[in-house]
Amino acid sequence: MCLAIPGKIKSVNKKTKVALVNFDGIEREVNVSLVEVKKGDFVIVHAGFAIQKLTSRDAKEISDLLDGK
Amino acid sequence: MTLNIIKKINNIAKEINHEIVIMELCGTHTEAVAKNGIKKILPKNIKLLSGPGCPVCVTDQKDVDVIIKLALNNIPIACYGDVLRVPGNLVLKSDKGKQNLSLNLARELGADVFEVYSTEDALKLQKEKPNLVFFGVGFDTTTPMTADAIKKGLTVYSSHKLFVPAMQVLVDTPQLKIDGFLNPGHVSTIIGTKPYKKFKLSQVVAGFTGEDVLISIYMLLKQISEGRAEVENEYVRCVRLEGNPIAMKLVDEVFEMGDAFWRGFGNIPNSGLKIRKKYEKFDAKVKYKNILYRNTELVEESVKETGCICGAILRGLRQPKDCKLFNNKCTSENPVGACMVSSEGACGIEAKYLA
Amino acid sequence: MSIPKSFNKNSSISLELGSGGKASWEFFKDLRKIMSYTGKWKNTGDDGAVFDLSPIMSVQDGSMNINSGLPRRSAPRNDNLRNDNSRNDKLVFTTDAFIIEPLFFKGGDIGKIAMCGTINDVSVMGAVPIGISLSFVIEEGFPSKDLEKIIKSIDKVSREAKVPVVTGDTKVTEKGKIDKIEITTAGVGLAKNIISNSGAKSGDKIIVSGNLGEHGAVILSHRFNYKIKLKSDCQSLVKEVQSVAKFLNVCKDPTRGGLGENLNEIAEKSKVKIVLNEKNLPFKKDVVAISELLGVNLFAFPSEGRFIASVPAKDADKVIKKLQKFNPEAKIIGEVEKGKGVYLKTAIGGLRTIEMPQGKLIPRIC
Repeated sequence: MCLAIPGKIKSVNKKTKVALVNFDGIEREVNVSLVEVKKGDFVIVHAGFAIQKLTSRDAKEISDLLDGK
Repeated sequence: MTLNIIKKINNIAKEINHEIVIMELCGTHTEAVAKNGIKKILPKNIKLLSGPGCPVCVTDQKDVDVIIKLALNNIPIACYGDVLRVPGNLVLKSDKGKQNLSLNLARELGADVFEVYSTEDALKLQKEKPNLVFFGVGFDTTTPMTADAIKKGLTVYSSHKLFVPAMQVLVDTPQLKIDGFLNPGHVSTIIGTKPYKKFKLSQVVAGFTGEDVLISIYMLLKQISEGRAEVENEYVRCVRLEGNPIAMKLVDEVFEMGDAFWRGFGNIPNSGLKIRKKYEKFDAKVKYKNILYRNTELVEESVKETGCICGAILRGLRQPKDCKLFNNKCTSENPVGACMVSSEGACGIEAKYLA
Repeated sequence: MSIPKSFNKNSSISLELGSGGKASWEFFKDLRKIMSYTGKWKNTGDDGAVFDLSPIMSVQDGSMNINSGLPRRSAPRNDNLRNDNSRNDKLVFTTDAFIIEPLFFKGGDIGKIAMCGTINDVSVMGAVPIGISLSFVIEEGFPSKDLEKIIKSIDKVSREAKVPVVTGDTKVTEKGKIDKIEITTAGVGLAKNIISNSGAKSGDKIIVSGNLGEHGAVILSHRFNYKIKLKSDCQSLVKEVQSVAKFLNVCKDPTRGGLGENLNEIAEKSKVKIVLNEKNLPFKKDVVAISELLGVNLFAFPSEGRFIASVPAKDADKVIKKLQKFNPEAKIIGEVEKGKGVYLKTAIGGLRTIEMPQGKLIPRIC
């Protein structure tokens, strides 16, 4: 129900809470007031707002889930 | 990797050996399923059913009508592109007959209607159009943006809804036989996974790539075959147990819970978000109440039965192909119901991707 | 005569009628129901109409060389027409109107698009363009400097493609009557053999002359405040199409409506099924990213300097090799089969349809 796309933070303006985010070569200013992030972090963006910082947790945990218990 | 998962799904489906019905609650999942051709991959006894997770589809036609009334009374309207083509109940009479009005049609009639990608764009637009009203549509994922904009002074007509109460209605519907839910990934990004624990049903919070969806279906089948009813999280890169507390706090500061009308469901208690009194000067329902409760000359209300079964489809009781209007009187160019208009609506997706 | 649907069902004209896709197509068919007199012209349902000159030429003079009849001496010489034994005796005629926001964008402007768009519509029918007409409607107060830039860019395309602008007109309207500037063109060309949209055959390969959708990505980025490194793909296709024209069963430039609309049109008119493979889709990651960010259909992204073609399997590699001299990204993207519709084999092994796009590209959040 809600499109959201991952992107990488290129720079953050701490005062305005606006960050420049790169999505596979496309860049846009994104409101980051809902997350605590710094340059280099990956975020998931919905309607111009970063709604969460992404972790790289998934791959391993999921393969554990699939193979393990 | 993918082949491996498909193999696992096939094996476990064979083991289970009876029909399993999984509801993908979120419209973006419905779209991911169609876009990746997943229904053609799944074994015959695994059925996917679309749920109500399309904010455009469940928006009450009255809300659409109200926004159109504002637009036709020279109030500039900003909205997400999704709702532009949704027809309401208001009917325009002309020499060519009657037409149900949508925001798109209102714009053709001369109203100021702007599609925006973000509330930030609406705030920029407000500098040129001080009377601008933003049509706030969406579930838990989209509400924080509106809350942020209200705090910055944007006037809003809120039709925002909470998703969990709709899940409750589904769970409480006795005719609906569902073995498991694929829970919405981005709603969960905001609200976390805790609120789902109260449902005694197998659930997996899923991401949105084809692979995410397949893995989640596998996880769900595994739960079902082992007789577990837990909330598992496949979308761990994004979804945390506690969600996004900053966003939830912001929403709570600006909005309060109230009843809300859902298309197809009717009134669901405590499922709507009303703007708190503290921010009422940015609440279009307060600011423009004179217009909202006055009939305009251009239009008349119509509650004519169209035969559209959107409601039953949204509740998972019927499927698009059961509707006699589907791909017939109701097409994506000429939608009768919201499920056909929205990119996430079950009917629109069925018409678009499935041969 | 009953009133066609497009006029009957709506009380006013919607944006969708002019945005490519299903609604535009229906509208166009409906227009043709009213304006149904086509005289001796053929292909009036294609991008360009065709007039067979051979009867006239044989009556006047069997050896008449139509190639030399070029107007206006000062214009760049048209060297595209090679002397050949068989005659270029099919006249192709096309027209187009251009409005675009923004007027100037990365890789082009409204002038360049007007020229390339017109040249390409003639080119993809297998014809060599010999002349273009160009008319401006300009809003009062439009900056002269901008007009100069637009005209210079028109001249540049004209010289590079060796297609002269041979006639035109200018009107200025009061401020507010139109939005800045609008350009209307017509183009004529000559061809030996017409490539129509209905020639795709089961067993053909579907090829593209390069990656698609870059023009659309640039325009959408501008409108919704994204920065993009890509440039518009806007360019003339005369040489590329001519280098392989004799091998092509179908050739189209996927402008408005993108790959989705054009493949559907080819499949419908040729009465065939087209199957693409997701792994071979001709889209750069930047183009995919903007389509996902805005939630708009990737298959509807327009290109302004690319073509798609249906080519017999035996010639496909040859054609690709020739095209790769112009653009290394030329490639095979799918196959033509018996049946109908346009399908995509997805990366994870599923199958789905690629539908005829709908109306304007509107961003969405869900």
